[in-house]
Amino acid sequence: MYNTKKTIVAVSIAALFTGSAFAMSENSNSNAEVSAKIDGKYASNYVEIIKNADGKYLDKAVIEAILGEEATHGRNGMVGKLDPANPYSFEVDDSIDGGNHGNAQCKIPKAFVEVHESAAKNYFDDDKFVARGFGTPIAESALEKWNISVDGDGKGLPDPSVGMTIEEGAKIYVQFCAMCHGEFGEGAKGYLPLAVEEDLVTSDFTDPAPMKSVGNYWPYAVTLFDYIRRTMPFWTPNAPYIGDAGYLGMTGYILQSNYLVMDDEGTELEDDTFFNSEVLMKVNKYMPNQGNWFCDHRPVIHNERCMTNCPDEQVGWDGTGDPTKYRQARKLPDGTPQYNVPQRMHEDKPGVGHAGM
Amino acid sequence: MTDKMEEKVALQTDASRNQGRRAFLKGSAAVAGGVMFTQAAHASGGFDPKKAVAPYTGKAELTDVLQDGAARKSLGFGVRKYPYGMPSPFEKEVQRRTLEWLTPDSMASITMSPIHQLHGIITPNGLHFERFHGGVPTINPDDHRLVIHGLVERPLIFTMDDLKRFPSISRIHFVECPANGALEWKGIQLNSVQWTHGMMSCVEYTGVRLSDLLKEAGIKPEGKWIIPEGADASGMSRSLPVELAMDDCFVAYAQNGEALRREQGYPIRLVVPGCEANMWVKYLRRIMVHDVPLQHREETSKYTELMPDGTAQRFSWYMEANSVITYPSPDFKMQGPGKYYVRGLAWSGRGKVAHVDISTDGGRNWKEAHFTSVVLDKAWTRFEIEWDWDGSEAFLMSRVTDETGYVQPPMPQMRKLEGTNNVYHRTAMVTWRVHAWEDGKSGGLIENVQY
Ligand code: HEC
Repeated sequence: MYNTKKTIVAVSIAALFTGSAFAMSENSNSNAEVSAKIDGKYASNYVEIIKNADGKYLDKAVIEAILGEEATHGRNGMVGKLDPANPYSFEVDDSIDGGNHGNAQCKIPKAFVEVHESAAKNYFDDDKFVARGFGTPIAESALEKWNISVDGDGKGLPDPSVGMTIEEGAKIYVQFCAMCHGEFGEGAKGYLPLAVEEDLVTSDFTDPAPMKSVGNYWPYAVTLFDYIRRTMPFWTPNAPYIGDAGYLGMTGYILQSNYLVMDDEGTELEDDTFFNSEVLMKVNKYMPNQGNWFCDHRPVIHNERCMTNCPDEQVGWDGTGDPTKYRQARKLPDGTPQYNVPQRMHEDKPGVGHAGM
Repeated sequence: MTDKMEEKVALQTDASRNQGRRAFLKGSAAVAGGVMFTQAAHASGGFDPKKAVAPYTGKAELTDVLQDGAARKSLGFGVRKYPYGMPSPFEKEVQRRTLEWLTPDSMASITMSPIHQLHGIITPNGLHFERFHGGVPTINPDDHRLVIHGLVERPLIFTMDDLKRFPSISRIHFVECPANGALEWKGIQLNSVQWTHGMMSCVEYTGVRLSDLLKEAGIKPEGKWIIPEGADASGMSRSLPVELAMDDCFVAYAQNGEALRREQGYPIRLVVPGCEANMWVKYLRRIMVHDVPLQHREETSKYTELMPDGTAQRFSWYMEANSVITYPSPDFKMQGPGKYYVRGLAWSGRGKVAHVDISTDGGRNWKEAHFTSVVLDKAWTRFEIEWDWDGSEAFLMSRVTDETGYVQPPMPQMRKLEGTNNVYHRTAMVTWRVHAWEDGKSGGLIENVQY
């Protein structure tokens, strides 16, 4: 098994440097060296491989040389390779802290060599840096007024003494939010719903995209408090007449409308629950969709730059090889394709689309 | 004068026009009025002087324009009629536009740039696309401050004048909403490149390096994330890893040589070259240095991609290499068989564009286009290629390869791997179907179709 992997890597590296006298002659035993360093996941001399390929870190041959052939076969090919050590991995440090899955940190893959090199140049090699003395020092305490950020671990939440019952929160919500988001978060007048029961998987690609909301999609509950205190109600954001207690109460009400729970027993929020930052952090640990997130590891597509007589799977509808097989826009009643000249712009929404970009 | 010319010329045919051109190429002079060509051209090219006509003359509508009009016969307006200049009234259709059904109100909405009407690689400030989450504030720069605080040695507050004292940099970069192209996930909706690709622009920014500002405050070793925040109603906030902030980000105060427009963040905005425009926080007033990402609404609820298996991708910062043919595109009509110069835009969030290839047969065969603009890092690049259209049905596609070796994929491949529910980052190729000419019966229709 190990031998096979070794061979694959050796072969692809040889292919990569075909014609490059430098790679082949100077490092005559480098292939052996390279494969020896593979810990079953990646070539540890990835920086060298990328640099020798003119910085082409997303080139199919380069990725194969570093991660092995299966890595260039879509997302599944990356399975098992997404760990902090992998130079192509965005996934780093899922430290258990805030929720079940922690405040997940995604990082810039190490394979993006030039990003790290330029960051290092601008930052880490800053021993020669001399402060210019522009700007004025200010005490952290003076900035409290502006600092309304709450992070995924709940840092920045109000003191647990601040809050109100969910019933009280519901009243405020109905007064300030329901006209746009619906009394139970079902949405109104085209504004986003805040509670939906939709499956995130669709059976057909032409089905409308699922509505994503707090209960079925959001990985964190604290996000809700941060966002509504920062941005809502839409016309008068960060409203002093609502205050932290009011924003917490509404957060509780929206979470309750999403039937979210706060412990292993599945205890739901009751109308008389005093909703404060502690209860919020409990719900934060039980967000149902929290485990279904991964860090960006695009591109998952690694094609060759084909110039002539390209394979069927790259031509035509669904790779049928027939360029005359295609899908068109909805036709007008007279059978002509829909054209979107200015006078047609105020028409009804076409059949498929996405609410709320 | 006009009358006489009309007497002399016959109706122009394709054959006679081509002969005229050939004679021209041979260096033969056409006499006044263009009626006669030299014998040399005749001998070598099978030229028939009886068929020869002067191109573009003869019809009233072609000769009428030779009459001098008001522009020539009267004085134009004087200086400072428009202390701030405006485009010609004849360009009034060149506008950013929106689709009213996209969003319930205009304060949290988007407009698209008319990219089919732009030339070169710079978007004029007035045509820059717009994306607001809480409307556009009108901020007095004298009252605006930028603070850097959190995990830093010295929290600092800057006036706008303070920022301009720092060393400046000017860079041309594209800025693209990751939802650019989103209308096309489930199939074709609209026949215009303004709608398919207009959620982006490319301008020259001037500002101060974020790394200079952050170093001035001194990031503590545990400071791993940068949280920029806006001073507008949306209080926009995102989390950026410190490596990204230190790479090539800057705080811009100018756009295309003048102050930022309000729609683009006046007085200052963050520039995160190559990354989702949502991260380029406008009306920037606060940068908090933090140890963990914030998991805010714009990096969880929105700007994340739902995959076909129900999992979701987050922190998808970089905009992938992408390209589009802007002429001919569905916004234009073909003028009959003949030569066309197919042109368009290519860009990559990961660096420079390396190649753009054009197919006219739906992706089976490709020819490399050349660049007619400078090729810059994370900026629009203009490509062009000559195409002899024989009048038969054609399927135009462009495919970019960037300097990282990434090759833009066809749509079926992207659909298969990423599904159609992800809203953002639809960067696969598009196809313009050029209808067969059939003696003009198709009207020169160019249609947006999807594979
Ligand atoms: C005038 C209509 C309006 C009112 C009133 C309003 N909202 Fe909103 N809400 C919006 C709009 C518009 C957005 C989307 C903003 C954007 O695009 O960034 C939004 C977004 C949200 C979201 C994010 C949804 C998601 O899926 O990302 C939440 C949560 C929310 N509002 C809660 C509230 C709460 C709580 C209140 C009352 C305090 C409220 N809203 C009042 C219009 C409104």
